[in-house]
Amino acid sequence: MPPLTSALGVDSRAVVAARCDAVNQAIEHLAPTHVLWIPSSTLKSVIDMIETRAREGAWVSAPLTREEEGIGIAGGLVLGGARPLLVVQDNGIGNALTALTTFAQPYHLPMLLIVSQRGGLNEYNSMIHTLCERVDDILDAADLRTFVLDERVPIDRWATSIVGAWEHAEMTHRPVILLVNLLY
Amino acid sequence: MTTPLSHDLTRLEALAAIARAFPTEPLVVALGTMVREMLLVTGRQPNHLYVLDAMGLVPAIALGVALSPNARTHERVVGVEGDGGLLMGFSTLATIGSMRPENLILIVLDNGQYAATGGQRTAASSLDLTAIARGCNFSTTDIRTAAGLSVAMSEAKVRPGPWLLRVMISPQNQPAPYFLPDPVELALDFKRYLGGA
Repeated sequence: MPPLTSALGVDSRAVVAARCDAVNQAIEHLAPTHVLWIPSSTLKSVIDMIETRAREGAWVSAPLTREEEGIGIAGGLVLGGARPLLVVQDNGIGNALTALTTFAQPYHLPMLLIVSQRGGLNEYNSMIHTLCERVDDILDAADLRTFVLDERVPIDRWATSIVGAWEHAEMTHRPVILLVNLLY
Repeated sequence: MTTPLSHDLTRLEALAAIARAFPTEPLVVALGTMVREMLLVTGRQPNHLYVLDAMGLVPAIALGVALSPNARTHERVVGVEGDGGLLMGFSTLATIGSMRPENLILIVLDNGQYAATGGQRTAASSLDLTAIARGCNFSTTDIRTAAGLSVAMSEAKVRPGPWLLRVMISPQNQPAPYFLPDPVELALDFKRYLGGA
């Protein structure tokens, strides 16, 4: 059965592609030195771009084994003058909470996490709702600054908002989590 | 493989040897008794990053420092971790192995225990940690004596890494005061030392 959005005449693939393009455009603009990632099915085209551009020498790209490992590596990179970016999925954000709250936040290490938002409307994985629908509340309770990009934000503001989230991390000397919804 | 505990070397002796061997290299020190005993040995040092919590993160942090542009002015970056911490962040061995930073040395002080929480056993004594690290593209050495540690560190300084030196130490802890500074200060000091602030 095709997704309901298609049945209603909405080109959901085009919407998702436009959001991914905005994320890719913002990453290019930010010019990180290192991009550390854990894939999500909704991030596939973003990770593909990250790997392609890494092969072209734009930055170093590395897959992570765990989210908290990424916080540690990114923290070390920041201390040594690099500009790391993390790209992960919100279903694993719980793995990063201790590292964020006991290392990146108290040591004032600015870093941006672009986190794909799962769960909720248009989610196809029945097991993923329970945690993912509450990730922004969990991050808020942990006093971690979080912004959300979803259908409420016009697509022409996505790239500038991602760049703004990076600048917010640098300005406040803190990690910033940007939840991006790539489901439609 | 089961590795019997050695009582030849204390943590304090091992840390003193490490600090002497790497007087200017960036050195990331794990939380708890490791940080506190390092402070007993050397006092506060500008090239030391003291990780006050975040157990298991030292290999990842040291990897990040080793990959950073400001590490290029140093021959080596050293992470000093316990066996419990290494096991907690174990999968980072795979990430290090895939990235193969030649300037990274991980020194694991293995007493088979969680020292800061009352000496509960870790799984390390049942494992061949160096064999696992070799499978992750590390050069490795098992060390049981002060002389062995000295030789291994000399070799790791001149031969490309990543290196994992497993140092068997006694379970003995040295009484040492808590170290509770503002972590922002610690980060800024280390960042300045690396040349980035």
